[in-house]
Amino acid sequence: MQLELASYPVAEIDLESTLAGMAFADSRFAAVETAIVEPGESVRLTHVLDAAEPRVKVEDPDATFPGALGTLRRAGEGRTNRIAGAAVVACANFPAEERPLHEQEGLVDMTGPGAEHSLFSSTTNVVLSFTPTESVSNEEFESAVRETKLRVARDLAAQTVGREPLHVETFTHRLGGTEGDGLPAVALLLQLSSLGPLYEIYLYGTTLAGFQPTVINPLEVLDGALTCGEYHWAALRNPTYHFQNSALVRGLLAADGKRLRFAGVIACRGYNQSANDKERAAMLAAKLARELSAGGAIVTTDAGGNSHTDTMLTVRACEQAGIRTVAIVAEMGGLTDYVPEADAIVSVGNGEEYVAEWLPDRVIGGDTLLDGRPAADCGPVPVRNYLGAACQMGDLDLRAVTW
Amino acid sequence: MRAVHYLNQFFAGLGGEEAADSSPTRLEGAAGPGRGLGIEIAMTLTCGDDFFGEHEDEALVTLLRWLTDEQPDVLVCGPSFGSGRYGYACGTLAREAARRGIPTVCAMHPESPGVFAAEGAAYIVPTGTNVASMRETLPKVAALATRLAAGEELGSPQEEGYLPRGLRRNEHAGASGATRAIQMLLGKLSGETRTEVTAAFDHVAPPPPAHDLRLETLALVTEAGCVPQGNPDGLPTIRARAWLRYPIGTASSMAAGAFECVHGGFDVTAANADPNRLVPLDVVSQLVREGRIGRLHESFYTTTGNGTPVATSTKFGQEIGLELKQAGVGAVLLSGT
Repeated sequence: MQLELASYPVAEIDLESTLAGMAFADSRFAAVETAIVEPGESVRLTHVLDAAEPRVKVEDPDATFPGALGTLRRAGEGRTNRIAGAAVVACANFPAEERPLHEQEGLVDMTGPGAEHSLFSSTTNVVLSFTPTESVSNEEFESAVRETKLRVARDLAAQTVGREPLHVETFTHRLGGTEGDGLPAVALLLQLSSLGPLYEIYLYGTTLAGFQPTVINPLEVLDGALTCGEYHWAALRNPTYHFQNSALVRGLLAADGKRLRFAGVIACRGYNQSANDKERAAMLAAKLARELSAGGAIVTTDAGGNSHTDTMLTVRACEQAGIRTVAIVAEMGGLTDYVPEADAIVSVGNGEEYVAEWLPDRVIGGDTLLDGRPAADCGPVPVRNYLGAACQMGDLDLRAVTW
Repeated sequence: MRAVHYLNQFFAGLGGEEAADSSPTRLEGAAGPGRGLGIEIAMTLTCGDDFFGEHEDEALVTLLRWLTDEQPDVLVCGPSFGSGRYGYACGTLAREAARRGIPTVCAMHPESPGVFAAEGAAYIVPTGTNVASMRETLPKVAALATRLAAGEELGSPQEEGYLPRGLRRNEHAGASGATRAIQMLLGKLSGETRTEVTAAFDHVAPPPPAHDLRLETLALVTEAGCVPQGNPDGLPTIRARAWLRYPIGTASSMAAGAFECVHGGFDVTAANADPNRLVPLDVVSQLVREGRIGRLHESFYTTTGNGTPVATSTKFGQEIGLELKQAGVGAVLLSGT
């Protein structure tokens, strides 16, 4: 497969008037407020659910974010235009307290000490703040928010079609990877959450309930096949933008044929429900990696707690199948689960550490944090509240060290 | 700066083994090695090593009362070197003092039981096994104590020369997690295995089966976050720091509406509809009536096992286990979620 990713710097894009021309009429929303915020502004975004990079499929704009928004068509091929340096950020509080939601505060600080804990402090953000109508359920509301966020991302990028990009990156990948003298074959085992409504990563618009490990193409990951509807701890989320710009997928593609053979990506469900389900999924993921002739695997994690058990069992199954592994794991004070086979772990930080107090001039998304504190003056905030701060696909450079 | 110093009976000059069962004593000013610290010691607390070991609660109550009365800026314990009992007393007192907001410096051998007892709450300067390392240890202790008393934040264990406290602090690695993962994997594939996280998880061997449940008292314990409706004791939905005990009384079932699930890790709808699925009182009561279980312990035990570090869970287990053992419970039904 071959994907061309054409970049249009955000500075050259008129976000404001495009946004002003958009309609948000939807029976599930009482209101949708929009704002554009820039890096360095004294702004804190609250109740952040997800962020997506504005993208459009040039040959078929309707197939942008296929399945999740647009027509079902394979992602990862042809040309995709991106607004580089921009993100559409969705903020919302859920209408019904049907499950404990107060652990799920998501923040982005555009400057101050929290700014280093999110990719979205350095992007120009089109912020959408959604208010639900009275009678709407969490699930109906969430689905409308997710779809609207992706639609705005697509429609903002649509203005780039027919214009000259700043640069074009070309990605190619073939299953099994590019062979080279003595290069080790490496698979990426990409964990995707499926814990139920509000805790779902979508693959072509569907959840991974009942899903068994499956080979997907790395270019699909970069091109909108995966979208985020997972609102556990903000720091441990895999936001849509992080898939679209995955440092791990890009790094493995860049190394393919040079330092390693990038054998392929295996999508694995996180939060398999029973012990048997977890063992089966781990075994099948390791088996697929073997069939790709992988000698090594990088095992990522999505969200935390229960899903860390999926990571650890997958590591064990791979090691037992003779595949050397590296796991990427966020810490929550310590590890939630561990197997002795996990002898090579990348730490992407401790979510329980605190970020110093900061007083923003302006708050967008909701003035009161989910735990009841005023967002403009809430004291120190744990790292776990910052969107993507400890993303377990390794997009940031945070790590925890022993003191 | 107000410093208080803790010493055992020997270093305080009260006597050797023959004085090891002496109860807590307080002395004005510095004593023994405290005179060599070079900082002003307002008070020296002391306790016999055996007394502390055998009457820990009693010793702690007295020592902590004196300590909180004195309101020092810093507490120094030891050096206790390789001494097991003395080190344990230093580590335990240091932990309790630090948790009451008093900065604390100990000095002991890295393998002293006091290191474990301190639970990372105190700063511990590593020493040799015996008093021969006194001379080089005291200036290090004094330097840390002076800075802590001044309210300074200390740097990393490597920079400052104290033993790692088991905290996991964040830093910027300078390279993304993705880049580090690829490097780490290529290294491992060429025979160099590295890790950024070392876990020291223990392995719990399954105990032998209960000899005869018909003769045993069974207790119900759960991490499912099952609490009385309204969560009167405020059990957190995640990262619980304590466990709770609730009386069962004469109930033979967990009534819907009387209990609720506050566990933040799963959809609690089904659990709230029938709390017996969290704490299976209905089935166990039936088995008691049928004589297949001897009797049921009077209370159930609950916490939320959600995002709980293993060290915390281990502590919960030890505390609950001890209480149940003392109550003559012979079997536990531990329902997990």
